[in-house]
Amino acid sequence: MSRFSFLSSDRAVGLIFIAPFVVMALVFMVYPIAEAVRMAFFSYNPLRPDLITYVGLANFEFIFSDPLFWSSFTQGTIWTLLSILFQTVFGVGIALLLHRKLFGMAIFRGMLLFPYIVPTVVIALIWRWIFNPEIGVVNYGLLSIGLINEPIYWLSTPTMAMASTIMLNVWKYTPFVVICVLARLQAVPLELYDAAKVDGAGAFRRFIDVTLPQLREVLIVVIVFRTIWTFNKFEEIYLLTKGGPGTSTFNLAVYSFEQSMASLRLGVGAATGVVMMIMLMIGSIVYLRVAGFGTEEKST
Amino acid sequence: MDVRLQRINKSFGAVPVLKDVDLVFPSRKFVTLLGPSGCGKTTLLRMIAGLEDISAGSIYFGDREVNRLAPRDRNIAMVFQSYALYPQMTVRKNLGYGLRVRKTPATEVDSAVERVARILEIDHLLDRKPGQLSGGQRQRVALGRAMVRKPDIFLMDEPLSNLDAKLRVTMRGELRRFHLDLNATTVYVTHDQLEAMTMSDLIAVMHKGVVQQFGTPEEVYSKPANLFVAGFIGSPPMNFLEGKIDSGRFRISEAALPLPPLTRGIAPGLDVVIGVRPQNLSFVTSAGPNALAGIVSLVELLGSEKLIEVQIADRKRISVQVRADSQIHLGQNVHVEFDTSSVHVFDKLTEQSVLEAMR
Ligand SMILES: Nc1ncnc2c1ncn2[C@@H]1O[C@H](COP(=O)(O)OP(=O)(O)O)[C@@H](O)[C@H]1O
Ligand SMILES: [Mg+2]
Repeated sequence: MSRFSFLSSDRAVGLIFIAPFVVMALVFMVYPIAEAVRMAFFSYNPLRPDLITYVGLANFEFIFSDPLFWSSFTQGTIWTLLSILFQTVFGVGIALLLHRKLFGMAIFRGMLLFPYIVPTVVIALIWRWIFNPEIGVVNYGLLSIGLINEPIYWLSTPTMAMASTIMLNVWKYTPFVVICVLARLQAVPLELYDAAKVDGAGAFRRFIDVTLPQLREVLIVVIVFRTIWTFNKFEEIYLLTKGGPGTSTFNLAVYSFEQSMASLRLGVGAATGVVMMIMLMIGSIVYLRVAGFGTEEKST
Repeated sequence: MDVRLQRINKSFGAVPVLKDVDLVFPSRKFVTLLGPSGCGKTTLLRMIAGLEDISAGSIYFGDREVNRLAPRDRNIAMVFQSYALYPQMTVRKNLGYGLRVRKTPATEVDSAVERVARILEIDHLLDRKPGQLSGGQRQRVALGRAMVRKPDIFLMDEPLSNLDAKLRVTMRGELRRFHLDLNATTVYVTHDQLEAMTMSDLIAVMHKGVVQQFGTPEEVYSKPANLFVAGFIGSPPMNFLEGKIDSGRFRISEAALPLPPLTRGIAPGLDVVIGVRPQNLSFVTSAGPNALAGIVSLVELLGSEKLIEVQIADRKRISVQVRADSQIHLGQNVHVEFDTSSVHVFDKLTEQSVLEAMR
């Protein structure tokens, strides 16, 4: 073997290709996370940088005995579960429609990414207008077709505010599910459908026995990612309701933000972040195990 | 049950794929659709299965027109080229799927699955998933899934094309045996003429969406209806030479070869192509009326035979098949003799067999 073989080996080429990413990951991911974890063990008031003190587990004790932490956790969980449920159902449904080559679907497919591309701040502002009880177009429409008799206070009663944030999240991220599912649908071998037809399966059985099993892996991945992103989501809630009315739409991200920025307890905010991270990690691992990710049979 | 195809036409958009296909597959026969890739075999098979619309024409199973019948109501079974096994189901579930969908009682499904698995010798694989099987095993599962429902008509689309050469030969015999056990009409699609010749009762040779000839393997081999069939059937392929007919003789450059007596009626001066198989040519020591002179340009050992390529006049080449122990060497001057009775004559313009037309 030649002395220069390392540089030309596959291994060296591989290392060269991943090196930039490793550096970026260290600078922009590992360092901030490490810093956040460190901060969770300190008392840290940004107005008094001279008073940073190590407090051990005090920040964690604080949040675990704070009722607002627990209600934020519950509300955030409900928010996440319902958002994911509707996104998945609508996403699969719309993907199945788009997959059929129906008239006009090409245009619809083009418009599909619109909600996903528009910045959340723009969407939230628009939504605040259209859900405005007095001058919003939603109430105007519902009133004029007679579905409701008096305006709905979309963002100012706890239940409706929660429903509105879920609607916003579903509206914005359903396209992501659609794109993932559509890509997978296009890879389903057509002969499987033919085989099922010859075997006597109707449209519903074909969906259950051919389509769904093929979508299983992509749905597992989509649900994991959407859950992580939604559970951590801050701006959709904050921009639409500011966590209100009261604290009724707080999730843990909003809680952490409020602790850090309004109450100036950066250590508590950081500790909340650490707890969220641990929760999501455990949740994801358990979910992937239960769902059996990676066990799909690849071949037909 | 017999299958009748009446003036079947099919186009995808403006592109015609099948043209006036008229065929009758007698009950319980093994019928093969044979032709090169893209000639419309799969399309025709899918139309018989009900998976593809018919642009024009009718398909009958027995006396019943089935044009508008869904696949599930045709009592057919199909083996797909990619096998199309359900990847998430075990072999047992795959085999029983058609019966379960039809709400067959569980005990009946189990016994039918066990029976077929025993016949195909895949009973030890029943609890595996398709991803854990070899190509040959998957192929048997695909066969089993088709056999389990006792169909009237058994459709197979190139079921052996994904197997290695040795397994393919074994499976040819097995498929033939299953056909005899099944008592169903089998329609088999392949592009491999040897497969078609060895397995079929009847062969429909197809080219560019048109049925070129429909007959027994002997018929398509010894009485090819046109140039395409003559060239497609048989291995090594038939030799073709262009020339003119002249009072019962075939004129090519200086030589004038005698033709079978039947050809006496052919109009003199007709441009023809004659075809003769390498097996019907032999070497003779001296020039004679039936022989063409040439130089050996290639010697190929095929095993028990040798294929000798001879360059004759006008840079034409013809292949001669001889026994492997024949002492013929490259560059040798030879005389090739024609077995007059086995020469095929085709009209150069229409490409149809002149002899078959006169019979
Ligand atoms: N769904 C389709 N749409 C358009 N053209 C098709 C379709 N299916 C087959 N064809 C065309 O029809 C012709 C015959 O195809 P096929 O029946 O698959 O041939 P074979 O099975 O003999 O190889 C080919 O030229 C192919 O490109
Ligand atoms: Mg084909």
